[in-house]
Amino acid sequence: MTRLAAYESSEGKKNMSIGTYFRGDYISGQIMKSIIYGTVAFALVFVLYLLYDAEKLMESIYEIDLMGFGKELLIRYLVFIGIYSVITYIVYAVRHRRARRKLRIYYNNLRRLDSMYRKEGKG
Amino acid sequence: MVVLLQIRERITRFYTSYDNYCNAAGRFILALITFLLINHYLGYSAILTNAALVLIIALACSFLPMNFLLVAAAAVTLLHIYALSLESVIVVGVAYLLMMFLYFRFSPKDSMLVILTPICFVLKVPYAIPVAAGLIGTPTSVISTGCGVAVYYILSYISKNQVPEAVTAPVTEDGAASMINKFRFIIDDLFGNKEIPVFVAAFAITILAVYLIRRLSIDRSWLIAIFAGTLLDILVLLGGDLTFKLYLSVPGMILGHVVAIAVAVVIMFFRFNVDYTRTERVQFEDDEYYYYVKAVPKNTVKPEERRVKKIKGETKKDAAEYHMRRSVTEKKEIVTDRAARRTAPTDRDIRLEEARERRRAADRLERDVAAKARENRERRGNQ
Repeated sequence: MTRLAAYESSEGKKNMSIGTYFRGDYISGQIMKSIIYGTVAFALVFVLYLLYDAEKLMESIYEIDLMGFGKELLIRYLVFIGIYSVITYIVYAVRHRRARRKLRIYYNNLRRLDSMYRKEGKG
Repeated sequence: MVVLLQIRERITRFYTSYDNYCNAAGRFILALITFLLINHYLGYSAILTNAALVLIIALACSFLPMNFLLVAAAAVTLLHIYALSLESVIVVGVAYLLMMFLYFRFSPKDSMLVILTPICFVLKVPYAIPVAAGLIGTPTSVISTGCGVAVYYILSYISKNQVPEAVTAPVTEDGAASMINKFRFIIDDLFGNKEIPVFVAAFAITILAVYLIRRLSIDRSWLIAIFAGTLLDILVLLGGDLTFKLYLSVPGMILGHVVAIAVAVVIMFFRFNVDYTRTERVQFEDDEYYYYVKAVPKNTVKPEERRVKKIKGETKKDAAEYHMRRSVTEKKEIVTDRAARRTAPTDRDIRLEEARERRRAADRLERDVAAKARENRERRGNQ
């Protein structure tokens, strides 16, 4: 019982919130979050790149093939987001599986405790 | 060994009794060390080096979550760097933000590692971190340790003793061009530093190796994990050193790894102290699964209870005093006091009763499970 209460107050709280989602919903939600974070991170790196190469860019602003530059930027962004999303998928799929497994053990123990109480009540 | 186990038991008991105070004190000391080191190595802003301010921030960190210390330390370093140059603060700020996105997404509870990694680098024992993280943490500790390594190298580049003159030089007449040149200089130096990827890769491989090996069900998995991880760390660092010509000090690296092994053994003593000679292998089943269980008992020992024996010397009683003590009223008082003590349960009694109750519940549970198993067997027999 003490162990059940300890689990409930510490790790259990987080796992229960994970357990309320279906696997697909939970992981896709996390991937969406990662895409937002990843986009901001990519934008920051791009700004840093602009500052770094500002001189060269200013000099050759009229000679740059903007379409080509944009295409290259988009490909890099997609590759970056793709890798970031794959990592997110792996990490959160593992977390979801673990949380589910621990919750199942917790509910099993809870059921056993409940039956114990019932028996005591009858006795 | 028994003495060591008793000491461990005493430390554990002390910690569990006063965990709130211990945690707060630990956070305070860690915060104090962090801010003192930041002020020592950066210290560009005179206001932030004020001892009273450092104490106040450290005190605030002692009762707030660990992530607050992380944010406070980042803010203090940025303010110091702002006093140095605007360009540096922009570059370091962006680097911090990138790390924050990675860290808060995947391992927001490993703030201790992000803080401890730079501190251990300063103390010349950084190699203890990946081994310890592999033993205590999870694979996502790779991110927090990597962030810690990056933070150390960024701050050591900006630190008072090493900062290049080009970074501190005043902006010349051609303001914009001068600023851009500074940017290029800082970014080239920071992101061109090959020690960062080499250390991040070495630490990441070590953490993963230690984590994977220590979770195996082989005997002495933790000890094997410690030695394998340390060896792997040395090999990757030497490989990186040869490839990128980093000129790392090999004796220093080996000495650091010896310290890392010592730290890891202490962690193992507290976290995974088991007796493999008493290993049991059990097989059982329920309706859904077959279980093949290997049970390794933990080494535990009861700490010696200190018994205080009260020795009452016989005193010669003065006749008058003796009669006074025996006076009727006092006797009554003593009797009622004793009676009250006998009836009212003490804290110890309550604790004992609770322990007995827990024991009874465990026994009932055990009986319950055995009965259920018997019932299942019978049912299967009937079928």
